[in-house]
Amino acid sequence: MTVSPALATLLLATLAAEPPSPAPAGPPSVERLAQWVTEDVRARDPEPPVAVHLSGVSPELRRAVATLLASRLAAAKLGPVVVEAPSPEAAESAARELGARSLVRLTISVQNGALTASGDLLGTWVNFWSGRTPSRPSTPAAALAHAVPADAGALALAALPSQASSSTPLAVTTGPRPVRLMGAVLIRLEQIPAALAAGDLDGDGKDEVAVLTERAVSVFADDGRILARREMEGLPLNPAPPREPFGVVAVIPQPARLAAWSARYAHGEVLVFDRAKSTLRPIGPLDTAALGANERATFTSGQTTFTPEVRLGEGRILSVPAPFTSASIVLPRMLFVHPDGTASLYPRATTPPVHLQGLGAGSALGDLDGDGTPELITTAPELFPAPDVVRVYALTGDDPTSHAVLWQSALPAGRAIQVVTADLDKDYQREVLVGLWHPDGTGEVFLMRQGAP
Amino acid sequence: MTLRHALAAHPLGLGLLLGLLLGATPALAAGRVPYGGELRLAHTGSAEQAGDPTFSDSPVEATLFSFQSRPVCRLDASGTAHLAIARDVSRSMAQTVRITLPSLSVATTLARSWARLAGPEAPSPYRALLFPIRGEARQLSSSGAMVELPLSFPWPDMERAICHPSLALPLTTVAPSLGPFAATASKGLLEARLGYPEGRPYLDRVLLTATDERGLARMWTARQVQLELGVLPEAGVLTGPALYATYLAFSPRRVPADFRQAFESAMDREDLTRLFVRAPAVPMPHLLPPALLPQAPARPRQGAPSAAGTRIVTLLYDAASEDQRAVAERIQVKLHERGYKVALEPLQRTVLRARWARGDFDLMLQSLLLPPLPGPALAVVLDAAGRKDLLGVELPLIGGVADPNARDARARERALALAPTVPILPLFAQALGIRAAPELGGLVLDAQGLPVLDGVYLLPAEPARAGAPR
Repeated sequence: MTVSPALATLLLATLAAEPPSPAPAGPPSVERLAQWVTEDVRARDPEPPVAVHLSGVSPELRRAVATLLASRLAAAKLGPVVVEAPSPEAAESAARELGARSLVRLTISVQNGALTASGDLLGTWVNFWSGRTPSRPSTPAAALAHAVPADAGALALAALPSQASSSTPLAVTTGPRPVRLMGAVLIRLEQIPAALAAGDLDGDGKDEVAVLTERAVSVFADDGRILARREMEGLPLNPAPPREPFGVVAVIPQPARLAAWSARYAHGEVLVFDRAKSTLRPIGPLDTAALGANERATFTSGQTTFTPEVRLGEGRILSVPAPFTSASIVLPRMLFVHPDGTASLYPRATTPPVHLQGLGAGSALGDLDGDGTPELITTAPELFPAPDVVRVYALTGDDPTSHAVLWQSALPAGRAIQVVTADLDKDYQREVLVGLWHPDGTGEVFLMRQGAP
Repeated sequence: MTLRHALAAHPLGLGLLLGLLLGATPALAAGRVPYGGELRLAHTGSAEQAGDPTFSDSPVEATLFSFQSRPVCRLDASGTAHLAIARDVSRSMAQTVRITLPSLSVATTLARSWARLAGPEAPSPYRALLFPIRGEARQLSSSGAMVELPLSFPWPDMERAICHPSLALPLTTVAPSLGPFAATASKGLLEARLGYPEGRPYLDRVLLTATDERGLARMWTARQVQLELGVLPEAGVLTGPALYATYLAFSPRRVPADFRQAFESAMDREDLTRLFVRAPAVPMPHLLPPALLPQAPARPRQGAPSAAGTRIVTLLYDAASEDQRAVAERIQVKLHERGYKVALEPLQRTVLRARWARGDFDLMLQSLLLPPLPGPALAVVLDAAGRKDLLGVELPLIGGVADPNARDARARERALALAPTVPILPLFAQALGIRAAPELGGLVLDAQGLPVLDGVYLLPAEPARAGAPR
């Protein structure tokens, strides 16, 4: 069955006349973007029906924006119709065929922490005297460009689809996939983060995010909601604290517990997360800094480093070449970043380390491409990079930084001091979490999800 | 515990740890502020460290004192208070400020030093900062590691007033360092102190050299130092607010009633500031410096009083201050034109303070490091003017204003209103000139205009990025 353009126009006009329905629901950033675009389009006073064509790499994000945008345009009595066409150019004739009198063409993307929509608004009405030539009217005609801070919901929509079944880990069934990361702010913090960790604390198969600040530790959900918080004010103070917030937080498995220690205090705490009660319950003191499930270190008095002896799970002491400011352990590999921007990468504890240069304190090992071997994720080694960047290198047995970077992208303003990876949504792909410090003493956790920006 | 003691006590041994420390000498950063290194600092202050913070009140001396001792808190450039020595400062009740200190001994030292400041033993105009405390802080005592300050009247500025450098813990032989650095056996060499509550400084050591202005210029040119305190203002010199204010106090009982008129008609503050005082300095026409009283209208120059024969007065000033000597000589000359024969008497600060406390002077030059808060600053000036009796009247009126901006405005109004009635004449206010080498990072000034040097670090060299050609 075919619908004539005139009938389609009548139908759309009828739909446009319907009373407004409840506000559309979606990730806040997508809603805000749709709202901004709608207001911009309305300001140009386009003749309805208005066709909407969206392009972009992620079909899910495209469809979500189209749905919310069409809803808002409908509420504005603009009779929206979503046009599927292979390109923005082809959308113009498709819109005419559907009887639309105006067309909004937008490209949707997530880049540098922003959800952006850019494109144009044009009239599709063709003057009778133009004959077969598809001339355009003088109005409406506008360039459209909007950007809003992306959130975790937008990132989830834009993420690459999982290539694994839910019951089979990706690393086992598939080969490496290209690493492509796009980011959004997950958590805004009133204080700068002293340490980050991720792990499944409640047994639901999804990782939670643990953020240690100078005086508290908090657990957040995959959408940035706070789930529990534990103030540490009652702990005895460290007689030789560092000047900056510093510490460790780690998820210890079997059973899942959180080991948190801010160097402001003389000792840390082992905590149990109770999701139902939204609490972090202390079950004992922590007198060594937990770098991983079984690896322990000691703070350097008064400084933002650890002393260069690490106690491994089997009780063996690993002598790292120098004090280190951050560590990442994905057994059997271990990475220690030293204060001078060098690092020691141990393929396994019993082999000599590979010496690396030019790493930032925000460095971690994590399997981003699903091949079962972790990649090296690192930030800028400068003290005040502008902007800071995230780079991903493959671990190849020698110095990974001597090979081509797998991925590199700029971070929002701030100093990236912590990096961890996590599977926040049980899709068997690891996300990257970056702890950012701002000059005003606030911080944020920036989430980088795999997807196509 | 200083670094040296920590090294000696560490089980890994001195050699290894020295190696680690040398390794920590800044080169690259990994995104974090680097620790280590030695700062070479030249200054125009005294080579000898004073133990009493109320005598270390010039901007250079206050900065030097801050290496080894601090008040309970410090005000950043925006005026926000940050804990320094104290672990906590809070209001346990509306009229009680509670200070929690790291230890019982520090609490005892603080309570004693403040009680001493408020009592007759060591009089100082800075005692006015403690005036709102019940009994004027004379009966102050500690309870465990806490010191409670019960207030006689509402004084919302109390928490910030006690951040003043003159209220720092005194240095004694028992407690030679309570600040971020500690003295060593080597003269002028300070080393980072691990136990400083704000965290040990980034620098390992500071080497201090006392010199004069010519010495500063010579050392800077020769790149012998990385930081200089007390330099003249020029391009690249950092200066804070001018809060080091100098006044001429006079005794109404000993000088003629028209002395104020004679002085105001004879002295030109602009000339005095430009020609006789070390820059950076600004003329101060009102009771509070322009940094605290910026919008006040200039006062018209008064006419000379009618001649009444020769009057003989003595002007006391600080023998250790070149600026005060030059200003005293200028006052001597200018008052001579008004029929005053002024005898100059340089005195040590301790003697000067004692004479001030007794009211035993005709004229006296007084330099005060005023707090960056109009209310507490006015309190100090009124006490310096010998009008401590006014504190009980004026401060409750100021402290009764809850809104901070309105309270500051009230203090400024009262400063303008009281100026013609109090026996003290404002002259000029000075700031600290600081010159820093480009390799220094983290240099910030506090609300007093003094550098916070425990946050200073040596900037790392630009590191090679990962993957860059080697």
